[in-house]
Amino acid sequence: MESGVIPISNWQLALSVVLLLLAGVVSAALQLGLLRSLLWGGVRTFLQLTLIGYALTYIFAWNNPWVILLAVLFMTAVATQTATHRSHSVPRTQYPRALAFLSLLASTMLVGVIVVGLIIGPEPWYSARVAIPIFGMLLGNSMNGIALSLERLYSSVNAHLPEVEELLALGATPWEAVRPSVKEAVRAGMTPTINSLMVTGLVSLPGMMTGQILGGADPRVAVRYQVVVMFMIAAAVALGCLLLVGLSYRRLFTDDEYLIPELRQSRNGSTE
Amino acid sequence: MVVSGRVGSGDVLFVHGRSGAGKTTLLRILARLQQREAGDLQLAGIPDSQIPATRWRRQVHYSAQRPVAFAGSVRENIVIPYSLASYRGEPPPTAGEVEQALTQLLLDQAVLAQDARTLSGGELARVALLRAVLARPRVLLLDEPTGALDALARQAVLEFLRRWLEEAAAERALVIVSHLEDDASPFSNVTWLELEGR
Repeated sequence: MESGVIPISNWQLALSVVLLLLAGVVSAALQLGLLRSLLWGGVRTFLQLTLIGYALTYIFAWNNPWVILLAVLFMTAVATQTATHRSHSVPRTQYPRALAFLSLLASTMLVGVIVVGLIIGPEPWYSARVAIPIFGMLLGNSMNGIALSLERLYSSVNAHLPEVEELLALGATPWEAVRPSVKEAVRAGMTPTINSLMVTGLVSLPGMMTGQILGGADPRVAVRYQVVVMFMIAAAVALGCLLLVGLSYRRLFTDDEYLIPELRQSRNGSTE
Repeated sequence: MVVSGRVGSGDVLFVHGRSGAGKTTLLRILARLQQREAGDLQLAGIPDSQIPATRWRRQVHYSAQRPVAFAGSVRENIVIPYSLASYRGEPPPTAGEVEQALTQLLLDQAVLAQDARTLSGGELARVALLRAVLARPRVLLLDEPTGALDALARQAVLEFLRRWLEEAAAERALVIVSHLEDDASPFSNVTWLELEGR
């Protein structure tokens, strides 16, 4: 290929399995009990990536905006599933899947369309080769952000239940009563992204930039792309967390503004 | 458990019963902090379904057995209600009002500048009561208000509550949960409610 990618042949790929086996040897020697997960993980990595490789080849060749939209919706659904996966703080009845899906979709769409359409501006503007990886990176990061936010919202309200109830008892609205926890939750979701803004390029080279450099791109071009990517991720994570927490705090309360009983069950304040 | 009763203006409902009888639950239901299984709840003849929870809780204030200190000074703690939307436009208590109340509760003026989280149990109980009263409720629901207090402070708190009630007897009422029957003695119109539990 003219871009300077060095292709990896089948036997070279097979050679990389040796590396996975090395990890397996460590697990077996120390009896970590990870051997099965490691092998299963290895098989899944190979299968999933091979499948996605073929799928992307078709999607890129097709380059139909509706197919791209469908792919993005599918990716959002998977990200939602992962983000709202079982957690200790969120009561079983409370997974706000629909809200998480909406928040992810809204924040990624807004930021993604700006980045693909305005900043990178490929021809046509919805080019799958640009749109799919961009939306993938947005969703992957937002997913972790909203998962952290959601977890923190519930754990913070649980930890501060006496304060929340005192505010309610003084006549606070549900929003006013949990506002400190809402702030804490958005902060928790955004912190990893802000940290990565601080250290990027110092501790490690970001994956996308590494990929472009391995692919033969001029590092200065790769850096420009990476800056755009970092900023867009920051925007998407902030919007996603804010949307989700803003939409889901109300689920901590019943329609007539009682705190949901699932929270009070773990209460340790009262005596009776 | 079935309980029925009414508190008239200027009256005190004194709730008594052994531990686990549901005294706290009763107060929390009255304050609309906990859902009841059945029954009716009215404030001045208006059913609770017609009063939004936020407005109800402002008027019927539940003061928890374990008082809550928010981050910040005591002064910041007692004006917290006035940062809420339902108090918008209402003037916060004047320095004079606060000063007078502190004296009645045997608290030093210097306590205002102190971090609320460093107060002793007895001090915090009185600061929480002060916050509740300065929030201008119609009905105060007090859960063991004298539990953490020594004899002197206990007398001061009961006297403070008696004055609060009599200041505007036509529009105020008090519900007290206490294991000390003596806590009822300063008040003139006391109704007793003995909870048997389940």
